[in-house]
Amino acid sequence: MTAPTLPLAQDEGFHAPGIEIFEWPDIVHIEVAGIDLSINRVVLQMFLVALLTWGLFYFGFRRPKLVPSGLQNVMESVVDFVRGQIVLEVIGREGLRFLPYLTTLFVFVFFGNLGGVIPPVFFPLNGRMALPAIMAICSVLLFISVGISQQGFGPYFKNTLFPPGIPWPVYILLTPIELISTFIVRPVTLAIRLLANMIAGHLILSVFFVATGYLLTSMNIGSLFGVGALAFSVALIAFELFVAGLQAYVFTILSAVYIAGALEPEH
Amino acid sequence: MSESGPEREPPARGAEMVWSIIGTLIAGVLAWGGIGWLLDRWLGTRYLVAVGVVVGMAGAFYLIIKRYGGG
Repeated sequence: MTAPTLPLAQDEGFHAPGIEIFEWPDIVHIEVAGIDLSINRVVLQMFLVALLTWGLFYFGFRRPKLVPSGLQNVMESVVDFVRGQIVLEVIGREGLRFLPYLTTLFVFVFFGNLGGVIPPVFFPLNGRMALPAIMAICSVLLFISVGISQQGFGPYFKNTLFPPGIPWPVYILLTPIELISTFIVRPVTLAIRLLANMIAGHLILSVFFVATGYLLTSMNIGSLFGVGALAFSVALIAFELFVAGLQAYVFTILSAVYIAGALEPEH
Repeated sequence: MSESGPEREPPARGAEMVWSIIGTLIAGVLAWGGIGWLLDRWLGTRYLVAVGVVVGMAGAFYLIIKRYGGG
C-alpha cells in the first residue's frame, strides 16, 4: 500500500503516513513449529504494559494501610471506580467476584491505549488486532462459562438461543440471529471498536505531526500554517488521552454487561 | 452505594441497549444474509441473499421490539 501524496507538495515529496506505520520489523526472530513468535517493538511494549499493570497493583497494595497514601491511594481509586461505576452499576452485588478481572482489564486496556500519546512510545498497543481480539475472546469465554455455571449447560443455551415468550415457529427466524449476535457479533464488535478507535487516533496524530514538521520546515508561507497545525496537534493529544480512557471504560463496561446477561436468564 | 433490595434495576443499561440493538441488527443481516448466500450457491440462484437480508432485518426488528418495546 503506497501512501497518498498531497498534490501541492509533490515536488518536495510530502508523504502522509499510511497504514504501514502499524508494521514493525522483528527485533528477535523466533519460530516454533512453524508459528511465528517473533518479538518486535509492539511485543516489547506489550510486555512492558503487562509489567506496569502488575507492578502498579503489586506495589500499590503490597503493604496496605488503613489511611492510604501515594500509590495505594491512586490504585484504590481505580478499583473504586471499576467497583462503583461498572460492577455495582451494571451487575450488582453478585458481580463483585468479577471485580479483579474487570479492573485488570480496564487498567491493561487503558495503558495499552495510552502508549499512543506517551513520548517516546507513540504507539497504541491496541492498534494491532492481536490484543483486542484476545481480550474480547477472554470476555466471551468468561460470560459463556458464567452462564453455564450459573444456569446449567442446557438451560443457558436454551435461554440464549430461544428467548422465552415467543411463539415457537418464530424461533426458526430468531435462533440463527441470536446465535450470531451473542457468540460472534459480540466479540467481533468488542474487538473492532477498540482497534478502530486506536488505529484512527494513531493515524490522525501521525498525519498531523508529520505535516506539522513538514510545514514548519518548508520555509515559505506554509510555515505559518505549521504553527496552527502544531497547536492543533497538542489539542489532538488531549483528545486521544480522552479516547484512551473512554475506550478502556467501554470495553470493560460491555464485558460487565455481557457477564450480567449470563448471570440471569432473559425475561 | 446502597443496594436496596427491590429496585435493583441497573441504570447503566441505556448505552448497552444501543449497542445491543446495533448488534442484533448486524446479526440479523449476517445470519439470514449468510443463509441466503449459501442457498444461492447451492441452488445457483442470485436473489436469495437479498431475501435473506430483508428477512434477517425483519427478524432483528421483531427481536428488538419484543425485548425493548413497551413493557
